[in-house]
Amino acid sequence: MSENLQEQEVIFKIKRFNPEKGFWWQEYKLKVDRFTQFTEALRRIKSEQDPTLSYRASCHMAVCGSCGMKINGEPRLACKTLVLDVVKKYNSNIVTIEPMDYFRPIKDLIVDWDEFYDRMFKVKPRLYPSKEVLEGKAEHRLKPEDQKELWKFAQCIWCGLCVSACPSVRIDPEFLGPAAHAKGYRFLADPRDTITEERMKILIDSSWRCTYCYQCFNVCPRDIEPVTAIKKTRSFTKLYKEKSEVAERGEKHTEAIFESILKTGKIAEAAVYLKTYGILQSLVDLIYMSKTGKLKYALVQERYVQNIDEIKKIMGGESK
Amino acid sequence: MKVAYYPGCATHGLSKDVDIATKKVAEVLGLELVEVPDWNCCGGGFLDEYDEVAHVALNLRNLSQVEKLGLNKMATPCSVCLHSHRLATYKYKEDKEIKKKVDKRLEKTSIKFDGKVSAEHIVWVLIRDVGIETIKKNVKRSLNGLKVGTYYGCQMLRPEQIMEFEQAYNPHSLADLVSATGATPVIFPTMTSCCGFPLMGSNPKAGLKLAYNVLNSAKEAGADIIVHPCSLCHLQLDSLQIKIQSEFNVKWTMPAIYVTQLLGLAFGFSPEELGIGKLAMEVLRVKGVI
Repeated sequence: MSENLQEQEVIFKIKRFNPEKGFWWQEYKLKVDRFTQFTEALRRIKSEQDPTLSYRASCHMAVCGSCGMKINGEPRLACKTLVLDVVKKYNSNIVTIEPMDYFRPIKDLIVDWDEFYDRMFKVKPRLYPSKEVLEGKAEHRLKPEDQKELWKFAQCIWCGLCVSACPSVRIDPEFLGPAAHAKGYRFLADPRDTITEERMKILIDSSWRCTYCYQCFNVCPRDIEPVTAIKKTRSFTKLYKEKSEVAERGEKHTEAIFESILKTGKIAEAAVYLKTYGILQSLVDLIYMSKTGKLKYALVQERYVQNIDEIKKIMGGESK
Repeated sequence: MKVAYYPGCATHGLSKDVDIATKKVAEVLGLELVEVPDWNCCGGGFLDEYDEVAHVALNLRNLSQVEKLGLNKMATPCSVCLHSHRLATYKYKEDKEIKKKVDKRLEKTSIKFDGKVSAEHIVWVLIRDVGIETIKKNVKRSLNGLKVGTYYGCQMLRPEQIMEFEQAYNPHSLADLVSATGATPVIFPTMTSCCGFPLMGSNPKAGLKLAYNVLNSAKEAGADIIVHPCSLCHLQLDSLQIKIQSEFNVKWTMPAIYVTQLLGLAFGFSPEELGIGKLAMEVLRVKGVI
């Protein structure tokens, strides 16, 4: 029986916290088997060894989003992660558990959610239907293809793991963060919603503040791909008139890339740079580059794609 | 051993030194790099936000060129090009809707992708196909005493389920290569963080802040220099050092060189032959490497 269960002793190194003492590490030993989730391990540690250990968990089935934490440095849902999977992956029976990064710690593995909720509510996470629907004079229908577009982004369980892993959130208070963008796009792209202009005002500038590092894609326990929602949100920029400086520059940059590939099959760096930054900033940056001795390759003339008609064909398949 | 070689636009542009060093190192190791005929841009990490279908189709065009060569691996020195090709093939295989639209775009073209080619990073090829032992055998100049920060960045590691080479939170490919040269690998807290390059087109101030965070973190961990695996990180972390100095009012630099430039030094090439930049040269002189 125990052979089938693969029972073994695991050492849990838990990063604890309280406001009086600050952070400290504490070790616990526990025998687990191949079915033991991290939430179950924590429950047993708390009930059998140390009632002072604090953590959040509720549904134990990756629906409520309560148990986000760092396991061996990886932002994960404790309930969705089996202890022995981590032991096997890292080839060690010592595992570390820490509170999520970025969020303010309250006690042990429990963090303050207020700021995260503020972000989520900024994107107005509900449908604003038409007056006729509210008055019962019409009904909303959603085409299957529209539902398909929204479905993935509607699956967010507000666990905060993507925000805890996001580098842009840390350095840019204007960036709403990946979870809010996934939720925001879910309504921005919903044909039943009536506040598209307002949503663009909330989302577009922020979308150009994402650095495409794919942390959110990597850590999301629901495979939502918030970065994909951000990319899709950026495509609304051309429909929005009140562009911020960040959005306007970003749009110019992307257009320059598209045009360069369409024309040559490749990115002509100098042309893209000029279009994005203008001549003055480009000259300033040239001076910086010359100081690092990196200017010698600026005049490298790359061959264009010979079969450029093929490039045009595959890039011009849909009207922009 | 023969693999297809996809340089990418930056590697044949402002990061030409990445191309030079990679080809020299490959030659020493007996790795034949066959440049993809008439290759096109992968979209630079941005095109999919403008036109997702064009992005996938463009990447499949490169891979189909490799299939015509009869090779099953396309190695690239650029993490963004790697990410772009792997993401495109992932979408083409996993998303029926995208596949349908892409196939429509590919009608009446020479492009036919059977899924027999995978895009790989040159670092993966060096480790998995060439092997660390072969690399060690070719070391003529030990870099003993040089402390090298191993900067992985984002696109070579994430998403883990699409990259499929090493653990995104516990990578060691660059450390293995650095150790092979005799240098000491230095891990540091931001070694898998973003260098900020993708923000330079929209929010350059934030992009520079991310670059500063990477360089500063490597400096605090005691690195003399950092190595990285990406032609665009190269532009961000090497070319912008002086701009970062001025923006954040710091006196220090933390030169960044491409991983094959470090291997090339260990194989006995001069820094000039490898196109190593001014700032890195200074550090290498001080450390007695050159």
